[in-house]
Formats: sequence, structure tokens, C-alpha cells
Amino acid sequence: MIPALAIKNYTLDYATAAGPVRVLHDISLEIAPGEVLGLVGESGSGKSSLAWALMRHLPENAREISGTLRLGDTDLLRLHPRELTKIRGRRLGMVFQDPSTALNPTLPIGRQVTETLIQHRGLSKREADALAIDLLGHVELRDPAAIMRRYPHEISGGEKQRVIIATAFGCRPDVILFDEPTTALDVITGARILELFARLREETGVAALYISHDLALVTRVADRVVVLKHGRLVEEAPAADIFRAPRHADTKALVQAVPRPERRLIHDKPGDEVLLAASDIEVHYGRASIFRQAPPPATRRIGLDVRAGEILGLVGESGSGKSSVARALTGLARFSGKVRFDNHEITAARDMNAAYRRDVQIIFQHPDASLNPRHKVGEILSRPLKLYGGSAAEIPRLLEQVRLPAPYAGRWPHQLSGGEKQRVAIARAFAARPKLVICDEITAPLDVSVQAQIIELLLALRAATGTAFLFITHDLNLIRQIAHRIAVMRGGEMVDLLPIEDFDADHVHPYTRELMAASPVPVG
Amino acid sequence: MSLAWLVRRLMLMVYTVIVVSMLVFAITQILPADAAQSLLGENATPEMLAALRAKLGLDAPAWQQYLHWAGRIFSGDFGISMRTSQPVGPDMLTALSRSLLLTVSSILVTLLVAVPLGVVAALRQGKLTDTGVSLIAYLGVSLPEFVTATLLALLLADTLHWLPATGYVSLLEDFGDGIRHLALPVLTISVILIAHVVRMMRSETLDVLKSDYIRAARLKGLPERTVLFRHALRNALLPVVTIIALDVGYLLGGIIVIEEIFAIPGIGRALMVAITTRDLPSIQAGALIMAATYAVTNTLADMAYAFLDPRIRYD
Repeated sequence: MIPALAIKNYTLDYATAAGPVRVLHDISLEIAPGEVLGLVGESGSGKSSLAWALMRHLPENAREISGTLRLGDTDLLRLHPRELTKIRGRRLGMVFQDPSTALNPTLPIGRQVTETLIQHRGLSKREADALAIDLLGHVELRDPAAIMRRYPHEISGGEKQRVIIATAFGCRPDVILFDEPTTALDVITGARILELFARLREETGVAALYISHDLALVTRVADRVVVLKHGRLVEEAPAADIFRAPRHADTKALVQAVPRPERRLIHDKPGDEVLLAASDIEVHYGRASIFRQAPPPATRRIGLDVRAGEILGLVGESGSGKSSVARALTGLARFSGKVRFDNHEITAARDMNAAYRRDVQIIFQHPDASLNPRHKVGEILSRPLKLYGGSAAEIPRLLEQVRLPAPYAGRWPHQLSGGEKQRVAIARAFAARPKLVICDEITAPLDVSVQAQIIELLLALRAATGTAFLFITHDLNLIRQIAHRIAVMRGGEMVDLLPIEDFDADHVHPYTRELMAASPVPVG
Repeated sequence: MSLAWLVRRLMLMVYTVIVVSMLVFAITQILPADAAQSLLGENATPEMLAALRAKLGLDAPAWQQYLHWAGRIFSGDFGISMRTSQPVGPDMLTALSRSLLLTVSSILVTLLVAVPLGVVAALRQGKLTDTGVSLIAYLGVSLPEFVTATLLALLLADTLHWLPATGYVSLLEDFGDGIRHLALPVLTISVILIAHVVRMMRSETLDVLKSDYIRAARLKGLPERTVLFRHALRNALLPVVTIIALDVGYLLGGIIVIEEIFAIPGIGRALMVAITTRDLPSIQAGALIMAATYAVTNTLADMAYAFLDPRIRYD
């Protein structure tokens, strides 16, 4: 039987000013008709390059050194550009990572679904419309006829991804590439997209290459998994076996790094002393103007307290208001309500004195945006030191604390990797010797293995300094490993605030239960 | 475009015009020229001045004068010109119509030329066509309009004798001759505007072509032509609409130069004459008409933007 997709001895370089850089080394793999192959790798492993190579959409500096790419009996490497339009979308479909940017903002949804049907299946406009309504209904979109007339900004991220999936399946391709299709979505929406994928796959028997950095997720959707590391295939195994018996050291490290709620990383109990108590916090963005009313507050009368040395987890989907809480507690957003910290009462950002601002530090999600690109690491760290009475001589100690070599003080942020940048951001927060550090999704942009290292670092810092953490995340499995208590937010309200021991109990809020069900736990 | 949005936008426009009218009135109040004095001449006695001030309403408090003035303008009466003793309104509106004809034709020519040029330059990025288009665009931006105007007049009127160098002929009287007289000024303005718009169109097209949804459209197997015309063009046009609206503002102010050079009796020229002769009602009417035109143009641009970009409609 001819495989649906066959890659043989494929090697790819990128030409750079410093000479060629090899991104894919001698890759060989096959996908049988109807099979789903999971491709797992960290960022920089070359998994996206492989997808672009298959779609014949490589950047101009790509150099294909050797190998063959075959879709059924078609040699993709020998295709004339004009023949490509007969392959893309028709025999080889693709579902993209970020549905919010993959749809044209100025065209109605319907048009973006029907255009491929008209192009590839030769349907008339009316036939295409009818089929598109069918397809949208089939991906469980309510009122497909109305969706057809809407624009992308008028539907949610999950709905957009359903539209893109409907489009990809619409021309009944032989193979579909899924490039991290749930990464940009929140957990529950992502879980429903995966259910949809499983159903459609069963119905259509399409073969798929499912690319992701999330090993736990891939084992749930794929028949077979391959692991890509630095451009090499290091492991290939049935999905069910990879967690149970990883063979290669790199795979073992990946498996180790996947957060599992049952593997607790902290075992102590926090003290009884309440460090920070916030009550009735409502965060306000924007003010009323002559022409419009003020928008509703981003959070509704949130109350929470953090004890000395405690790790309090704050979880919720995007838009649930969890970052707004962080912004209010650091004085970055206007709020009403009361914050009590160290016997000091705060009702507005202007009440936050220098002592409070020193004691409560925040680390942001994107170190790229939070580190000044025009300042060297040493200068970034010297600011809080100067402000809070330290001296520049402490910089090597700070760097050592976050396990970076002292010479890194002379580097620019852009010379560091994502994980290293986040370490600098952590060092900056700890330069002030804070009592509470607010971590706002700080591992979200990182790979699992880097995430594991950062978490380990934070726990070591906590052990050394006794600092408390408010740890904001959407990753329930991760927070269940490290938090003493977990607060769950939805739509600006706090639906649960539970000690970790009670998390499996019966009285948890249905939404919390739903979140747990949607968090992919590794198979095997 | 929702009705509520449209109503709010129109209210904003009216509000702008009201504020501008207050400013215009206030500035002309501060001007050293005293209307009574300039009407009666230097030999006027204080009694005569006082009598005339009372007659003109100049002795009333400023806000009463403003309301009186604004009320008259609202009913279409812009007052009597001190220079010609004719009603100001009809003269100014005629002048405005000539300037608008010039502006609108220039913008049409600009759009017809600059949009395709910008797209072509983007598609041929880094190639000879792109360099050529960019070079011409830079020339157009860097030359002041009076230089461009003089050069074009020297070439097309004095040397080649294809077009008349100056003057204005109404299109209603003699369409062919009217167009011939319009050609040089329109060409001059277009050269400058094309330079703006080409550069904008080029960089926007490049940006849009790099976007995820264009990649998605290509990977859906759509032919390049469809990708370009259906998916890229509309999105690349959005900022150009804003540029054009800003250029209209530039034109209304900068058109004075063009009108002077080519002897077109437009609003810019009328305002110049009014200012040099201290013709207060004409200055007020001219400034107000220009501001109102600008406010209307901006509203139209916003509506065009909302039409092109569905995300604006429910804002």
C-alpha cells in the first residue's frame, strides 16, 4: 500500500550570513492512509520547518539538500508552482496554530469557506454556499447560515478554529497538517477542538500529521508519535508506549518535564500569618466619556489572601480576569476595593508606597516585552538594586541565584534564549528581596522542559528566601504540582478557592471540574 | 455601519464645526482691525464710530455677538463683503466649488495611478520597477509644490504648448477647455499626492502579504491573483484612506499656492484676498467653510474606512 505521506532522507538547511544552518537532518517517516502521526518537538526543533516544506512554503533562504517528499504518488519536490494550487487545500490541507490571524479580517466567513470549494471542487456559488453551511454545521457551529455572514472578529477563537477545520476538511484532502491547533486556545475550548478532531477523523478516515510541543496532548490524538530534537528524529513509538517506556534520553527528559498533578513538587505547609489580603477587588479599564458608558469591571468583587511563604495558584481561561487581579495588586490598573498588606491599608494605586512596591514584585508573561531591549542584563538588574538600596556588586550573586553565569551581565536581552530571558526577569524581581512575587503566566511561552527548569528554580528561590507566590496560569496540571491553594476564576468571578487536598473532592465548582477534565493528562 | 455609529460620527462632526466657528469668531475678534473704523476711514469722529458700532452690534457682549453671527450663518447669511459690498456666501461657495473640483479630480487621478503602482512596487520588491517607483515617489515628496508646478508648466505649456499655463474655465461653459485648464494644476497636486500614496500602498501591501491570513489563503490553494485581489488589496487599502483624508487637509491649506500659480479663483485665493484687505466677513466665512469641508471630508473618510473594514462598524 502506498503511504499517504512519505518523507525520505530529507535534509534542509537555512542559508544565513554566518553560513548554512542545518534545521532537518535526514528525516524519514511515513503516514499510512487514515493514520494520525504525532510530531512532538520543542521550539527550534524543526517541526514547523517540516510542515512548511510539505506545504512547499519554505522561506527564500531554505536549501533542500537531499531527500524526497511524496504525497501518495506525487513527488512534492518536483511540482511546478502552478501545480501547487491543485495540491494545497485539495489533497494536502492545513490547520493553523492561531485561528485569530489565519482568517482574513475583512472578508465574511462564508466567503472564506466557499472559495476553496469553488476553486477545488468546481462548485457553483450556490452549491458552495449550501455545502459550506453543511460543513459548518458538521463542526458543531450553531446557526451556520448566520456564521456565514459574519466576519472573523464577530466569532470566538474556538469558533474560528472550527471554521478553519471545516474549510480544511471541505475538499476531502488525503492528508491534513495540524500545526499546534489548540495552543492559542484556552484549555476547555482546546479540549472540545480535540474531540471534534477525533470525530471527524473517524468519519472521514483522513490521514494527519499532528504537530505539537505538548507530548501529553499528542499521545491522546495520535496513533504513533515521533519526537524531533534539534532537527533529528530521536524516537518513534506507538502513542500508548511513549510515556510508559520512552527509549531515548531526550524523550525521557520530555516525559519527565510534562506536569502531572499527582507528582507534587512541594511538601511543606505555609504559616498562618496573612501577608496580603484583598477584598472586593474590581478592576476598571477605561472611563465613561460623553459618547459611551464605562465598560463593566474586569473582575467582580474578588477576595483572596496570600499567607507568608504560600504558593497561591490562580487559574482561569483567557479573559477570566486573572491578569487583571495581578495588575490591580501591583498598581498597574485602576481598581476599587481594599488590599491589606503588612498592616498597611491600600484602596488605590497611589496608596502603594515604596515599601509595598519593593515587597510585591511581578514577573510578566513575555520577557521580550518586559526587558528593555536597549539595556544590557547588568543594567536591567541594577535598576531595582539602586532603587531599593542594593549595590551593583550584587549582580553576580543575583545571576547566580537564577543559575546564569556572571558574564551574562554584559549581554543584551536579544542574545538570550526565551528561558534565559525569563530568568533575568526573575532575578530582577528578586533583586528587591520581595515578600510576594506575582507570576503572570511566566511559563506560558516556554517549552515544557524549560518550564520544568523555571519551576524548579522558583521553588529553590522560595526555599532560600521564604517568598510567597501568587502564581497565575491556565495550566491546571502544573499548578496542582506546586500550589498550596488554588483559586479558579471565570468571567471575572472567583468560582472556587480550595486547598490542594480538596481539589479532587466532590464539592468543587462544576466549572473547576470541567477545567480538570479538559486538561490533558498523559496516556500511559 | 450601524446607525448608532453613524449618528455619533455625525454629531462629532457638528461639534467640531461649532468649536471651529467659536475659534474663528474669537480670532477675528482679537484682530487689531476695528470694523467700524475701517468702514468709516480715519476721519471718523468718536460719535460716528459709536453710532456705527451700535448699528453693527459691535457694542454687545462677545457671546451675544457670536450667537447673533452664528445664527445668521446657520441661515446661510455670511454677511456683506467690506471690499465688494456683495454678499460673501455665494462668492465663497462658488470659489469653494472650484477648489473642490480641483481637489476631487486630483484625488481621483492619484488613486487611479498610485494604488496600482504601489502594489506593483511591492510585488517587485527590490527589483528595478520597485526602485524606479520609489525614486519617483521620493522626488514627488521632496520637491515643493511651486517647483513642481513651475517645472510642469515650463514643460507642458511653455515648451510643448499642449496646455494653457494659467486660468480657469468653468466645465459648464466649455467642457473641453475647462479640462485643459484643469490639467496642469491637477497634475501638479497629483504628483505630490501620488508620492505619498505610492509609498504607503507599497509598504502596506508588503505588510499584508506577510500576514498569516495571506499565507493561509495561499496554503488553501488559491491562485496568486485571487490571493492578491480578494485577500490582500482591501486590507492594504485601509491606511491609504486615512492618508487621503489627511491629504485633503493639506490640500485645503496648501491649495493657495497652486491656485496662485495657476490663477484659479478658488477658496484659497479668495481667503488670501480677504486677509490682505482685512475683509472680516470674508475671512470668517472662508475659514469656516474650509474647516467645515475638512470635517465633512474626515467623516466621509471614516465612513469609507468603516465600509472597507468590518471591524469598525459596531465600534
